[in-house]
Order: sequence, then structure tokens, then C-alpha cells
Amino acid sequence: MNQIPDIKPHTTAMLVGPAAALMFGVFVLPFLFLLVLSFWSQVPGSLQFDTYLTVLNYARIFGDSYYLGGLWTTLWLSGLVTVICLLLAMPLARWIVLRAGPAKGLLIGLSILPLVCGALLPTLGLVNLLSPLGFINGALKSLGLIQSSLPLLGNITGVAIGLVQAFLPLMILPLITTMERLPQEYEKAAMSLGARRLVVWQRIILPLLLPGIVAGSLLVFCASLTAFVTPQVLGQGKVVTFASLAYQQAALVLDWPFASALAIVMLIFLGLAGMLGALVTRKFGKAS
Amino acid sequence: MKSRFSDAMTLAVVLAILLFILAPILVLLFSAFDGGNIFRFPPRTYSLRWFEAAFNHPEYRSSLWISTLLGVIATVIAVSLASLAAFGLVRGRPRYRFAVEVLLLAPLTLPLVVWAIALLSIYAELGMNGTLTGLILAHVTITLPFAARIMIATLNEIDPRLEAAAKSLGATPVQVLRRITLPLALPGLLSSSAIAFLVSFNDVVVTTLIAGAGWITFPVRTFSRLRTEGIDPTTIAIGAMIVAFTLLLILVGQRLFQLSRRF
Repeated sequence: MNQIPDIKPHTTAMLVGPAAALMFGVFVLPFLFLLVLSFWSQVPGSLQFDTYLTVLNYARIFGDSYYLGGLWTTLWLSGLVTVICLLLAMPLARWIVLRAGPAKGLLIGLSILPLVCGALLPTLGLVNLLSPLGFINGALKSLGLIQSSLPLLGNITGVAIGLVQAFLPLMILPLITTMERLPQEYEKAAMSLGARRLVVWQRIILPLLLPGIVAGSLLVFCASLTAFVTPQVLGQGKVVTFASLAYQQAALVLDWPFASALAIVMLIFLGLAGMLGALVTRKFGKAS
Repeated sequence: MKSRFSDAMTLAVVLAILLFILAPILVLLFSAFDGGNIFRFPPRTYSLRWFEAAFNHPEYRSSLWISTLLGVIATVIAVSLASLAAFGLVRGRPRYRFAVEVLLLAPLTLPLVVWAIALLSIYAELGMNGTLTGLILAHVTITLPFAARIMIATLNEIDPRLEAAAKSLGATPVQVLRRITLPLALPGLLSSSAIAFLVSFNDVVVTTLIAGAGWITFPVRTFSRLRTEGIDPTTIAIGAMIVAFTLLLILVGQRLFQLSRRF
């Protein structure tokens, strides 16, 4: 009985069609176009494309220390942000799932706030929090803890703080989803059989949480790697990240083939990160 | 005794992390009331003058109007398309359900800046750069996944037997939809509309790339001024109002229909 669809296949296709067509046409197709575009070049002094296929754009990225430096900064920064997010999200998610009780929904609601506030407005607040005259420096000075302001803006520290704040929800949500499915009895059983806390974490909790950890890490890594609003505002132009290079080329220099090549390089690194995630899940997921 | 101590420690750590997540938003709200030209902590004077300036600023007023208009149009289209698709996927249970779900949710995981660069070049080829149509299409695309995820989850939770019962008692399909399905799906519809509107209204990543000079939304205007002139207190005042509105919407949504459970 349950196998019989409630509506006819024809009607289903009519319902699903418009949304699917839109997402395919407006979202998926541009990615394919991007790949082609990255092998084209711009006719100098115009917005026309030279459709003769060339790898010059890629050669320019990998032959120039400016772009390579940006790529390297972005990669380790994204890795660092991912690790910090994981360390912060783990206790928070665990507490929300196990202890928060009736406050749980509200806390999840508040944690998703940075996601719906967009990239810009929280960054504005962060500028006032971190600037030389801002909240942190002002408070530390009036407490007499520091004499001159700590440099928290216009450097990697500020950008890292901003990225962690912006993307923490991307780690919290998958962790909460995974933890909710995790039977608490396993942990208790292991404890009652005499396993120490560390062993319980290593052998029971972490392997079971692995899908959530991998999913959250991939989301945060991907978001940090491609962020450009937060690095530009908090880095004040002094921190060059890969996505801000791509943004400059696309929006200011208007060299779209080159911007596309930069974008494709980002996608390649995201793909590599995804493969690494799959590999980790396969290797450690069912272990112990 | 020891466990009570470690409980307190855990609680302190958890509260500190929560505070860190909310800090930028709280600081933004607070700094809008600073009377000076440059924010400094602790402020020397408090005033409402930047709010007044915000309301009298014609450029910001037109940007806020554009953002609102765009947000409303994109939300109506995205929530309608997403709800129809979710209904088809959940009730029709087609074999391609998984593939379509992946397609509809793709923008949640794929980098929007990469996509926006591609869209920018395509729009240029089609002569659609800077048009309202192009902007609406882009905003529907970035908001639809949020709406689709919430609507799929909502419809999954509605017992199909309720619809079957109404039908067997002689209700026409339209009556079933109006009297059974829609009322039960209403919390999901409201949640997805709220989230879609906020995502569209606050987007800067995609819009800053594809919006021309004619349709400058508030986040785009703020971002471009930020790069050239730094922060101006009027921006902070408007930002604070938007953030307060967002916070309020999330809290009300949470209270009335457990918004975060659907997210």
C-alpha cells in the first residue's frame, strides 16, 4: 500500500520540473561554461572572448609567485579555520545535544544566526570589536592590561577570527545531526565495562561521529577557501586570499577567462578536499 | 563534587563559544548608539543621530528598498517552486528523487563565488548584466535550496493518511490541499519564507558580482563603500537595524514553529 505513489508520475514531473530545470540551467550549466571559459582568453582592451583554446591562464597562475602565495595562504588559513571550528563546535554541539534540554531549539536557532546574516553585517561588527579603538583593545586598555593596541585587524589573525565566527554554524549543524543519532548507551556500556574516558572517545565516540566531523570540516574548509568578503574587510586589503584574487579579476579587472581559471583552481582544491574526506571516512569510519 | 566542578567548567566554555558566535552581532547593535564619528570603546557619548542620518540618506533608502523588493520577489518564486518540487518528491516518490534532491540542494555546498563568476560572464554574453531579471534569477537560485530543504523535511513529517482519509470522505483534491495539506505545511512555508528572505536580503557574495549600477542592494553598497571609504556610522546604524530584525525573525520563528528544527 505504501509503495503506491499518492500522485501520478506525470504530475510529479510537472511539480518537480520547474525547480529542477531552474537549478540545472542557472546553477549547473554555468559551472560547465566556467570550465570552457578558463581555456579561452580575453581580447586585449575589450570584453570579447578569444575562443582559441589555451592553457595560458593556468600557466599564469602557477608561474607567478603572487598567485601561488595567495593560494598557499588561503589553503593553510582554511585548514587552520577548519581545525579551530572543529575544536569549538565539538563541546558546543555535545552540550546542546546532551544537556541543553528545553533551550536546545533556541540555541540551535542562535547558532545559525551567522548563516542568515550574510557575510557582511557580522564583519562590520567584528571590525568594531577588533579595531585599535574597538571593544577588545578598549576594554583591555581600560583594565590596564595593555598599553598600546593589539593588532587584530589587517592581518591573518583578524581574518581567521572572522572566518571562524562566520562558518562555525557549518560545523555545528552536521555535528548536532550526527550526535542526535548516536545512541548514548554505547558510551555508557563502554564506561561500565571499565574503559577510560580517553579510550571511549578514541574507540567509540570519534569513529561514530566521523561522518559529521568530515561533513562539517568539508563545509567549513570549502567556505573558507572561497570566502572573499570577510578576508577583504578584516584583512583591509593586506591579506591576499585566493577568492579575493578571483573576485578582483572578475569584478574589477574584468578579465573573466582568467577569473574562471582561478575559480576552477579553487574547485580542484575543493574536489581534493572532498576526496580526502571520503578517504578518511573509509579508513577510520568503521574501525575499532 | 568533582563532577559538579567540571560541569561548571563545561558550561563556562560553552557560554564563551556562544558569546563568540554572537559577539559581532551584539557589538554591531551596541556601536550604532555611539555618538562619535568613529566607533571607540568605551564610547564617549551615546546618541541616536546615526539612526536619524540613516533614515535621511537617499542612497541608503533606495538600496534598502531594492534589497526588500528583490528579497520579496525572490522569496515568493523560490518558496513556490521549492514547495511544488518538495510535494512532488515526497508524495510522488519518483525514482529520481535522490538525484533531484542533490540538484536542488547543490548551492548549499558548492562555492557561490565560483558560480557567480561564471554567471557574470554568461549574463554578459546574453546582455543580462545589471538587469533586474538577471538579479532575480540569481537570488531565486541561492534561496531555493534553503526553501527546498525545509519544505522536504516539513512534507516528510505530514502523515499521508490524513490526506487519504479526507479523500475517502469525499473531499476533492483542491479541498484536500486547502483544508489538510496547506494548514499542516504552513509552519514550514513560513520558516522557508523567512530564511529565504533573509538569505536574499543579506547576500553580498553573488550580488556584488552580478548587480550592475542600476540595482545596488544595501549589502552591495555597504561593501563597495567599505572598500573605498571605510566604515561610516550610518552603515552601522542600518546594519544594526537589519541584524535586530534578523534576530527577531529567528526568535519569533523559533517560538512559533521551531524554525531551527527544520533547518
